[in-house]
Amino acid sequence: MQILMKRRTTGALLFTALCTAHLCPTQLSAQDVLVQASKIVVAYGEGSTAATVLTDSALLLRDGKIAFVGADIPAEARRAARVVDYGKATISPGFVLAATTLGRDADLAEGALAFTPDLRAAEAFDPWQKELAQLATAGVTSFGLAPSPRNVAGGIGALAKAGKKQGRIETAEAFVGFSLTRAARSQERMPTSLMGALEMLRDSFKTARVGVQVGPDLAVLRQVMSGQRRALIHADTFAELNGALDLAKNFNFAPVIIGARDADKVMAKLAERGVGVVLAPLNPKARIADLELPKKLAKAGVPFCFAGRPDQLRFSAALAVRYGLDRNVANAALTRTPANLIGALTTVGSLRQGCGADFVVFEGDLLDLGSRHVATWVDGENLHGESPAGAKTSQTTNSAGGR
Amino acid sequence: MTVIEAGTVHPVSGPEIKNGVVVIRGERILAVGQQGELELPPNTKVYKFPNGHIYPGLIDASTDAFADAGLRSDGSLNGGSKIADGLMWTDSRDDHLIEHGITTAYISIRAGSQLRGQGAIVRPRASGFDLWEDREQAALQLLMTKGPGASHALQRQSQLEAIGRLFDGLDKFREAKEKYEEELEKYETDFEKYLEYHAKKNGKDKEKGKPNGDKAKKEESKKPAEAKPKADGSEPAGRRRGGRRGEGRPPRGGGAQEMSAETFEKTLATIMALLGKPKTETPTTGSQDPKPQGRSGDRATATPTRSPTKSGGDKAKKGEGPKRPKYPKKPRPDPQKEALLKVLDGELPLRIEAHRVDELLAALRLQRDKEIPVVVLERAYGADRVTRKIAAQGATVVLTDVLPNSLGVPGDKRNPYSKFDPTALPKKLNDEGIPFAIASGTARLASLLPMMAAAAIGRGLSEDAALRAITLTPAEILGIAKDTGSLTREKFADVIVTDVPLFASDSRVLLVVAKGRTEYEAK
Repeated sequence: MQILMKRRTTGALLFTALCTAHLCPTQLSAQDVLVQASKIVVAYGEGSTAATVLTDSALLLRDGKIAFVGADIPAEARRAARVVDYGKATISPGFVLAATTLGRDADLAEGALAFTPDLRAAEAFDPWQKELAQLATAGVTSFGLAPSPRNVAGGIGALAKAGKKQGRIETAEAFVGFSLTRAARSQERMPTSLMGALEMLRDSFKTARVGVQVGPDLAVLRQVMSGQRRALIHADTFAELNGALDLAKNFNFAPVIIGARDADKVMAKLAERGVGVVLAPLNPKARIADLELPKKLAKAGVPFCFAGRPDQLRFSAALAVRYGLDRNVANAALTRTPANLIGALTTVGSLRQGCGADFVVFEGDLLDLGSRHVATWVDGENLHGESPAGAKTSQTTNSAGGR
Repeated sequence: MTVIEAGTVHPVSGPEIKNGVVVIRGERILAVGQQGELELPPNTKVYKFPNGHIYPGLIDASTDAFADAGLRSDGSLNGGSKIADGLMWTDSRDDHLIEHGITTAYISIRAGSQLRGQGAIVRPRASGFDLWEDREQAALQLLMTKGPGASHALQRQSQLEAIGRLFDGLDKFREAKEKYEEELEKYETDFEKYLEYHAKKNGKDKEKGKPNGDKAKKEESKKPAEAKPKADGSEPAGRRRGGRRGEGRPPRGGGAQEMSAETFEKTLATIMALLGKPKTETPTTGSQDPKPQGRSGDRATATPTRSPTKSGGDKAKKGEGPKRPKYPKKPRPDPQKEALLKVLDGELPLRIEAHRVDELLAALRLQRDKEIPVVVLERAYGADRVTRKIAAQGATVVLTDVLPNSLGVPGDKRNPYSKFDPTALPKKLNDEGIPFAIASGTARLASLLPMMAAAAIGRGLSEDAALRAITLTPAEILGIAKDTGSLTREKFADVIVTDVPLFASDSRVLLVVAKGRTEYEAK
């Protein structure tokens, strides 16, 4: 075990170096870009908070980030920027997919061991994998690359993004993934039952709490208990949810539950303990109770978002709206809430100054399927969609009094 | 009289009307216009939705509502099966179409058999449904696909060609049927002549005061009671004289093969008139079952010719006068062939479920080869590749699964259907001028019918075309456009009201009026 851990640590260091050298190229842009539209949603509010919306405004993109928003854009920068005008369309923050293995489930699970909290999902990230190309088409601009739910403690998830040619890791260590679902139990290794899985986690957390010198695996658990790192726990059934919530209560951390099929049975506990939920995509043929779960979670004040296939995000949110969810909450569930749940709110999920220039452009409200998806931008680059008609690619002479 | 006022009226048949009004009298629309333009009589029931939107009742051109699990998985369906006979109201979530604004639906079953019965048009109600009169058998369903499973294109082709053989033997069936009808007509004429001859003869006997008639009566009274036909014109149960097992039974489909009760009554009346006796009396000579069936009729013909001779009362020699005609041999009843003949005659549309391009081409070839006048292509996912051919042949299309990535993840090589994009298809069909309807495909998705149309709008289809695809065009495809599909004077008062535009995800149905009756009102 010690040898394994050493190897892991060495691997991690090597990875960090590689990441710095190759996978995280600085997105330098020779010129600022001024993106204009009749409506820009800077950030969707969570809960009862209203969204921050600008009318006939603009964003100034610099080096892949939002440099200035609306009236804050300096006149000089405005004049020097390349202008992209989306006219009557609406610009919103790009969708954040809270947890996905992006089709690489096998590479994100250690089959022989159930407890590997210090493994890094980022190490299995392939920046050229073809699934990345589908993200922008679906409006997804960043995603949590999560360990597979096949391990009780799967490892450390990363925040990643698609790119023009290749994807990249934005944050290599964003959250820790656990699982209590059936997938984590195996007859070929321990644990074989839910009881065993819970006991394994309890023992580990206890050791991490009392131990003086702990290995990298237990160190990760310490980070969870201290609130440094978010814990995302896969749990679907009532027993799994209850187990996860008790574990979190005993070791004093607020988890995020992934799946939560039976969330309505533990709704009060979820709300009381400030637990977030990452829901599986909604199936239009599902029971009415399942389709109304987002509405119930919102009513109870439980923050939630959607996960699953990238192309299912928007449709799930639209379906939730069809079944009574408030539009503002649904929009937040695609952007701000998932960013918050994986601890990446400062970098993605909104269009505030300093955040990544990740946004989507729709003709109309993106929750209406009749609204056309015009474009997706990631890190200040147009990855999907057309160049708007009348876009100016040269310097503009607009005065500061404009947008 | 009922009046519905709303912020916007979308008649489909014309431009939208701001501050519009729909006036209903009885079960029909009396007028559609702008508020204030029309003078309303007193005691009019008025619904007011100042911010609402009025649309025609939605039409789901393909659903399996009102069919229970047994019917949905019935693999024994064939071309002769009438889906309408198996429909029932179960009060399940799937049967509440009316709450989603669907006032007309075409019901079909997606069972595994190639010919899956004849679909029916129904009018959903708050707690039940009505069958659309004369549209209980609205189309014949044909399956021409192997589905998304792995199969070789050539293998599929040979199987698809085999479907064409379903139409084999129809000419002979038609000939036999026509021949039978001709012979039946001739039989009726000959039989009348025959009766006339004997009636005249009996009249002469009467004049002579000979009691031939009484003798005949006596003979008749000796015959077993079961030999008399039933009141409904069918043969008595268990009667299979000289025929094979089951041949004596009336055919299920009914029709021209058999003399109907009405015809029988008429014939009987003719006989009685000719004999100069009241209808209720037992005829003397014509009582030998004027309605013999199948082979059983052959033997029945022998008796009356002997009877007058045997009676000895008439002195006519054998062979004198017309011989009693033989009842023609009827062709074996075959409801499936009957349905296919109706398809060939254009009386019944053929709805072909074909997905891939090769399946669609085979369906179009079938239409061409068999000269089928009305073909509707269902779930034609690959139709964008054959739009010109579809347009050239005048086929129409009913699209289902018009939801984002409903057929799988794009680029999934294991799923051959992942390359299809049902949301982009409506625009392509519209651009080629092909009439198409967007349908739920299954009752479970009924509430999402407007969202399906919205998904097509998101891929470039105009709102007007999308609205038409769930109202007027399905009505045209189903052949009921003169009665529903738009807010037009004299059409059925099928009207729905929504709180926000229909294509918004959070649009709620506030009111549903079907045929002038309020079937649903949101609380």
